[in-house]
Amino acid sequence: MNRYETLVLAVPEITGDETKHIEKEIVQVIEQNKGTLLSFERWGKYRLAYPVNKNEYGVYFLVRFETDNTDLPKNMSNACKVRLNAIVMRDMTSRLDTKASLAYQRPPSLEDAPTRDVRTFLRENKMEGLLSSVDAEEQVTDGSDYAAEVADQDVHDELD
Amino acid sequence: MTKKIKLKISARLSKKRFRKQSQTAKKHCRFCSTPELEQRIDYKNAAFLRGFLTERGKILPSRISGNSCLHQRKLSKEIKKARSMALLPYTTQFF
Repeated sequence: MNRYETLVLAVPEITGDETKHIEKEIVQVIEQNKGTLLSFERWGKYRLAYPVNKNEYGVYFLVRFETDNTDLPKNMSNACKVRLNAIVMRDMTSRLDTKASLAYQRPPSLEDAPTRDVRTFLRENKMEGLLSSVDAEEQVTDGSDYAAEVADQDVHDELD
Repeated sequence: MTKKIKLKISARLSKKRFRKQSQTAKKHCRFCSTPELEQRIDYKNAAFLRGFLTERGKILPSRISGNSCLHQRKLSKEIKKARSMALLPYTTQFF
């Protein structure tokens, strides 16, 4: 039995349905070639090291499977390139050592990192003097929002 | 007959002589001494591999990192894999 893993790089605007579609297609390919699926993981959204197909961001998936069939890795990459062409940007299949453990480390994704507020950042870095400017900016944006709402209402009134 | 004295020494030889005389510790491969670290050489572990790149994204030579030949080969292979999956850069952006 040989163990393989495929790392799939998908477009950043991927939806939940498309994720299910990728999983379905991959499971189908594995079943057709008499393999067994070990795991299907979604890593999350990442900022890429360089733009791929003019996309600065991407979503990674890691698929691991076991098989005796040596054609399966080739068929897997064919499926990614042909059937999932619209969603998948890159894919790479590599063979795993059967004796080694399945544990691995991956870089932290953008979804894992906590989002930080501007105010807490300023307080942590001892820049309290700039807090007033943030308040002023927010007031300005609030005003613009209000203006936009008024404009929307006007449009609706006209339509009515 | 007088003995000929070598007046000029090549840069390579002078460097070699300097290295022999210097008291600094010899460079050693960090992967050979700790086998747990060797398992971290993996294309998925991009944060770890980033330590073996220069600022411009080139692979650091073993001359500087001190890696053994075997581990340098493994490392460069994994870095190239990570590059093709956009986890590591081929080069930095133009500035």
